[in-house]
Amino acid sequence: MVKDKATVVVVGGGATGVGILRDLSMRGIDALLIEKLDMVNGASSRYHGLLHSGARYAVRDQEAAKECIEENTILRRIGKSCVEAISGMFVQVEGDDPDFVDPWVKGCAESGIKTRELSKEEAWSLEPNLSRKLVRAFEVPDGAIDGFRMSWQNVQSAVRYGGRYKTYTELIKINIESGAVKSITVRDNVTKEEYDIECEILVNAAGPWAGKVAQMAGLDCSVSPSKGTLIAFNQRISNRVVNRLRKPSNGDIFVPHGSITILGTSSITIPDPEDTSTSWEEVEELMKTGEGVFEHLRDYRILRVFAGSRPLYVPKGADGGRNASRGFVTLDHEKEDGLKGMMTICGGKFTTYRLMAEKFCDVLAPKLGNTAKCRTAEEDLVPAVSEADKKAARQYFPSYGVNLAATRLGTEKFPEVVKTLKENPETREVLCECENVTMAEVMRIAQEPTSHSVADVRRRTRLGMGTCQGNYCAIRSAAIANKLFKDKLEGCGDSLSDMKNFLQARWKGITPVMAGKTLREAEMTRGMYEVLFNVNGGRR
Amino acid sequence: MSKSDVVVIGNGFAGLMSALVSADQGKKVTLLSYGAGTFPLNSGVIDVLGYDDSGKAVANPAQAVSAVADEHPYKKIGTQALEESVKFFQDVVAAEGFPYVGSLNEQQWLVTGVGTLKPSCLVPESMQGSKCFEASEIVLVGIKGLKDYYVDMVAENLAKELGNDKKYTVVTVDPHYQGARDLTTKDVAAWMDTEAGYADFVSQVKGNAGAGKVILVPQILGLKGNVVYKKIVAELGCPVVETTAMPPSVNGLRLRDVLLSALKKKGITVIENAKAEEAVIEGSKAVAIKAGGEVRLQTYNADKFIVATGGFYSGGITMRDFGEAKEVVFGLPVECDCVEERWVNKQLFSDKKQTFAKTGVRVDATLRGVNESGNVVLENVYVAGRNLSGYDFCFEHSGNGVALASAYKAAKA
Repeated sequence: MVKDKATVVVVGGGATGVGILRDLSMRGIDALLIEKLDMVNGASSRYHGLLHSGARYAVRDQEAAKECIEENTILRRIGKSCVEAISGMFVQVEGDDPDFVDPWVKGCAESGIKTRELSKEEAWSLEPNLSRKLVRAFEVPDGAIDGFRMSWQNVQSAVRYGGRYKTYTELIKINIESGAVKSITVRDNVTKEEYDIECEILVNAAGPWAGKVAQMAGLDCSVSPSKGTLIAFNQRISNRVVNRLRKPSNGDIFVPHGSITILGTSSITIPDPEDTSTSWEEVEELMKTGEGVFEHLRDYRILRVFAGSRPLYVPKGADGGRNASRGFVTLDHEKEDGLKGMMTICGGKFTTYRLMAEKFCDVLAPKLGNTAKCRTAEEDLVPAVSEADKKAARQYFPSYGVNLAATRLGTEKFPEVVKTLKENPETREVLCECENVTMAEVMRIAQEPTSHSVADVRRRTRLGMGTCQGNYCAIRSAAIANKLFKDKLEGCGDSLSDMKNFLQARWKGITPVMAGKTLREAEMTRGMYEVLFNVNGGRR
Repeated sequence: MSKSDVVVIGNGFAGLMSALVSADQGKKVTLLSYGAGTFPLNSGVIDVLGYDDSGKAVANPAQAVSAVADEHPYKKIGTQALEESVKFFQDVVAAEGFPYVGSLNEQQWLVTGVGTLKPSCLVPESMQGSKCFEASEIVLVGIKGLKDYYVDMVAENLAKELGNDKKYTVVTVDPHYQGARDLTTKDVAAWMDTEAGYADFVSQVKGNAGAGKVILVPQILGLKGNVVYKKIVAELGCPVVETTAMPPSVNGLRLRDVLLSALKKKGITVIENAKAEEAVIEGSKAVAIKAGGEVRLQTYNADKFIVATGGFYSGGITMRDFGEAKEVVFGLPVECDCVEERWVNKQLFSDKKQTFAKTGVRVDATLRGVNESGNVVLENVYVAGRNLSGYDFCFEHSGNGVALASAYKAAKA
């Protein structure tokens, strides 16, 4: 049954998909994005959150390096509330190939990436935890970017231009008539309802799942999911991004975010993009390499380990893995395979998501007779919350939480939350101390049509993502949010199972690192939830 | 330089009980204290054995304890020491005016802070959740502004446990708190300790009290023993029941205060903030512990030492890297089955024990550390509480039970 239609349907709620949704919407094209789970659940959040300066690619792939530095500059401008505008360092330690440095410096210069060599003393004074085995250090314009927030802000921007999106909506069939895509069949993963959506062009932006989507149309598109494993530490080990100055390899990037640091990554070719498992061996490899840069790495508490799949595009006969290009490809299936109304975008990297969308839409728009120019680099993703609103909020917030909440919530929701805080003092309770999330904010996000569980609220608010990993906020958020879920949909709102699922998801990232200080945390989590709250129930 | 008969290292439930039992034997006891153990976490209830190896609820703890696996501390402690320890504990708390209800032959049921039920063995009078079973109406009291107690969630889950043929009524009490921070149960309990606070609370709840009803409250009935509990039960004329709670747990702190008071009466020397840093060993005996002090370490000599420093949570056992588990004070042999395939269950709340949780000191039936061939390593060093290997206290709900029984046995040896 046809229930909806759109000129363009974009499949995939990662950085690529949301970038295209925004671009199309700003060109005045009617577009709808569908995502099988919550927004940003794949590689766009399961990575180190590095806003590349391009320096990492300066030797091997100067085109990628140039794209990175241009997009880095643009995102610092249009994404102020999702980019942490820090800088980065490339460090060489004893044992690293000294001959790598000169071509790297030259490559950066040719790609337009500013580098500045630091004396060892200067490097240590900027980053005191750096290894004493440091040999050379350079400063580069790397940054950090919050993948969840950036993606949601793209969606919000698209919505202002008429773009639409549906989460928990999974593509299950592509309906083709006389050599052209007519519609798709989707399943609502919450209500289990199946229905059709008509469209003129179907965009496959499913990242590592793109091969599977192409198959539904009987097409062959070789995407090689490449798993990257990352470790999140309990604190900022450095104030800048720190890269190892050598041929790109596993475990040589540290990215600080808010109160944590992420170390990544490995690169393992895997058959199934759903595989986000991690092993002791992968963790140990990352730790061993990481210790080369920060000698005392093992004394920090590990928060969790996680993994994501890069959507590497592999032309037939080429290599996958670390050697595969980080570039991207636009496939017009009308030209390539004689199927009208379907295009695939594949490969690429988070930092250049906007440019990818621009180039892709430059091919797509003319097919619809649209000649509008791309404007995504000209306008901020979201307007900044006004100083007046922030000032008003300081009366009700823990003051250090105001800026965090303002960037999370944006111009529309922030004043609403402040109003709730003002009128209902009980909602000032801080549910998540680690990330400073108030009850009012949780209530507001729980009311969003896309929120069905505490995990959905977590991705929007960062609740449970800080140092306690949900130990304290699980009970609070499950109690508060589920009251609101109950009114939404039958079967939703079971606070106890939602709380258990939330903690279980956190547990997944903890199990591979169950040693050191993590054991202490685990014993506390179990002591509270298994013993004190007996969450499995009495079973009398 | 003083010398004691016994030095107890550790200030948690196992440490305090070891000290009390040792003193009861006429020994001169010094207790080295650092932190507060898990009292602020564990709600001060004595779980002996809530669930068996298959996860089935245990109806009779005494029977189930005699059937545990060989590696389990209870097997080494024996049922006789367990029975005596329970009696010893009940005598101590009763003498302090803070009696605990229950026996080894049945479970007491607690209502948890999320509304589920939980089996336990010895509980304070204020936490007898079993009283809800007979009631026709449960009056659930929430406190305005109290963090970590969500009365609607408690009502939702309790109804699932006890069935819908009972009536569940939610009442929210306003403590008229004017400050700017979030309230904890400790704050509300302190308010209940004041005459005005108590009267205010009673006036807001009294209309809902009556025959056939149970008043269910978070852990807020005062900070001191059972004073408020006795008063309010008499005044409302129906059972009042406290739930378990998120830290800080008021009842854990009540129990701690009561035990510390008993320690004082026994003339036990308690050294505050004395983290045991180093053991002095001569041959197969320990002769002293060096503990301190930010500035310098003090030496504490004794004929006998009881290690009650806790597990991973309290820091008595550490494991910096996979497989490198240590007992931190004496370096006693640690049992640790650190193999990736079985170290952690993929499910957090799973149907089997967690291997990592069973990590602890390998002991024989005398509760002294033994090497792999079963020979005692230090002949005058005994181990009590979560330091011990071979049990998962979270899975089976046995934490304070093992602590109590092992403390008793270690002190008696």
